[in-house]
Amino acid sequence: MHELTKKFGDFIAVDHITFQVKKGEIFGFLGANGAGKTTAMKMMCGLLRPSSGIATIAGYDLKTQSKQIKKRIGYMSQKFSLYNDLSVTENMQLYGTIYGVKPAALQVRIRESLKDLGMEKYADKLVGAIPLGWKQKLAFATALLHKPDIVFLDEPTSGVDPIVRREFWDRIYKTASTGVTIFVTTHYMDEAEYCERICIMSNGKVMMIGTPTQIKTDIGVDSIEAVFSKFVKR
Amino acid sequence: MRVILMLIKKEFLQVMRNPLLRSILIIAPLVQFLLFPFTADYEIKHVNIAFIDHDRSSTTQAIIQEYLSSPYFIGHGILASNDQAQEMMLHDKIDFVIEFPVDFEKNLMNRQKTGLAITANAINSVKAGIGTAYVQEVIANYMDELASAMPPEQNRQAQIFASNVFWFNEQMNYKNLIVPGILVILVTLIGAYVTALNIVREKELGTIEQINVTPIKRWQFIVGKMIPFLILGMMEFIVGLILMKLVFGITVQGSVSLLLGITAIYLLAMLGLGFFISSVSENQLQAMFIVFFLFIVFVLLSGLFTPTEGMPDWAIKLNYLNPLSFYMDVIKSIVLKGGTLQDVKTQIIALSCMAVIIDTAAILSYQESSK
Ligand SMILES: Nc1ncnc2c1ncn2[C@@H]1O[C@H](COP(=O)(O)OP(=O)(O)OP(=O)(O)O)[C@@H](O)[C@H]1O
Ligand SMILES: [Mg+2]
Repeated sequence: MHELTKKFGDFIAVDHITFQVKKGEIFGFLGANGAGKTTAMKMMCGLLRPSSGIATIAGYDLKTQSKQIKKRIGYMSQKFSLYNDLSVTENMQLYGTIYGVKPAALQVRIRESLKDLGMEKYADKLVGAIPLGWKQKLAFATALLHKPDIVFLDEPTSGVDPIVRREFWDRIYKTASTGVTIFVTTHYMDEAEYCERICIMSNGKVMMIGTPTQIKTDIGVDSIEAVFSKFVKR
Repeated sequence: MRVILMLIKKEFLQVMRNPLLRSILIIAPLVQFLLFPFTADYEIKHVNIAFIDHDRSSTTQAIIQEYLSSPYFIGHGILASNDQAQEMMLHDKIDFVIEFPVDFEKNLMNRQKTGLAITANAINSVKAGIGTAYVQEVIANYMDELASAMPPEQNRQAQIFASNVFWFNEQMNYKNLIVPGILVILVTLIGAYVTALNIVREKELGTIEQINVTPIKRWQFIVGKMIPFLILGMMEFIVGLILMKLVFGITVQGSVSLLLGITAIYLLAMLGLGFFISSVSENQLQAMFIVFFLFIVFVLLSGLFTPTEGMPDWAIKLNYLNPLSFYMDVIKSIVLKGGTLQDVKTQIIALSCMAVIIDTAAILSYQESSK
């Protein structure tokens, strides 16, 4: 990621951001509302075209090899965006098929991941009718169906209860341990502590990057919350 | 291929589970076929009519009586002069004046050519158009009665006269005016409106974003949307044809498969239009507005409900760009007149070109908007 920028008209939503993420790392994006986290993530997923700058994702160039990138990444949007009028299984079948997972393998993967999530009872329910926490878990599982190298999670736990959040992070750890890179945005300070490295964004700019401990000692405070309020207040 | 099939399955599942869309698909054809005739009926129930009788014979008396006994006409008496008729028309008191020439009865009996002048108040063109059909139908009925009352030898002559009137009448029959129109509207709405709304809704919900991060190819996405709506549109059209038979007793005179083929071409153009509209609009309201704006322009230009005679030249020329107008020609020709491939060749070529152009524009615009 180098000097990536996105402008909407005159407004610079993401301002020359530069950083690197290691394979299998859990990388957190922190920032206030409107800091540009979602915009940055959408550029990396190929949903928005960068105004300038270059990026290499999963070894492919963002500008010229977006097809290959798309095959290698999973994305979970900030706004829940699976089909509410399709059932849990139908959604997974749809996305698995689009990603080119073979029918037999797909069936096994869907069964396993539903079992893993403890979601078998919801398998044939319409997604619109299941509780939010389950929806989020489903969206995560669906983003992993094609075994991507990187998953982008945009505020995956906003609005869900603490127990589900805990479970969700267990799942993130489990996934990362299989070598999948996790790119996650969050508003929760405790979640920032779970990340291996975090990046603090404000007004489209990268303010700091490092492990949570590193950042705390650099600034001389004892919690990420204090770090955060320091930057956001400016 | 598996991807396409999966997308089609997804679309059908969603249509089936969407109560609003489901009811549009089921109710739209029913409402149109059952309601339109009534509104048309209403238009022609209070036709104000007056007469100028230069003949004053028993035949003219009988014809006038025929009009007055019809529930569609309100009689305004026998007028003395043309001036008086003009005056009344100017004040919108009457819609039609029927003028019987001198020797009307004599000529009729001698099987000579005879005529009567019908003057219509064309301010309300719908009333004038449909009313004319009714004015003529009454005369035709009378001729029919007359023919059956005559001795067999004379009968033949009189029948020719009557069937001539009938033939003209058929062109003006409101059923034949309205029914092809309903079919065209049905197909157009399913094609452009339902497709545009469907895609814009996915934009609003954000579900299209989830599709766009996948390595799905553009043509897959587009074909995956078009095939289901093409099938739905064809189903609606077939339902329309069945209702046309049940409600109006009209059957397709020409080849049904030719009709279906051309409908598919027209639908492809309309689907493309829906696609195009969806990629230039941000929300369902905008899409709805654009569809209806275009729809009204198309309908007005086509002369479907308003006569094109009064239109300026440029407007008539503009019709060469109006897919609805070509499709209307096809329906009229094949359904009503039993037109063959030869008869609608020009329309097929025009519609095919339009389908290709519109669909190309749709694909390009989708490419733009997905960035
Ligand atoms: N399509 C767009 N057109 C114009 N401005 C936009 C567009 N999308 C986002 N923005 C603006 O860019 C800025 C960054 O938005 P972004 O969604 O990336 O923030 P965020 O960090 O994800 O915030 P949140 O925590 O609320 O999700 C905001 O000020 C937003 O209003
Ligand atoms: Mg965001």
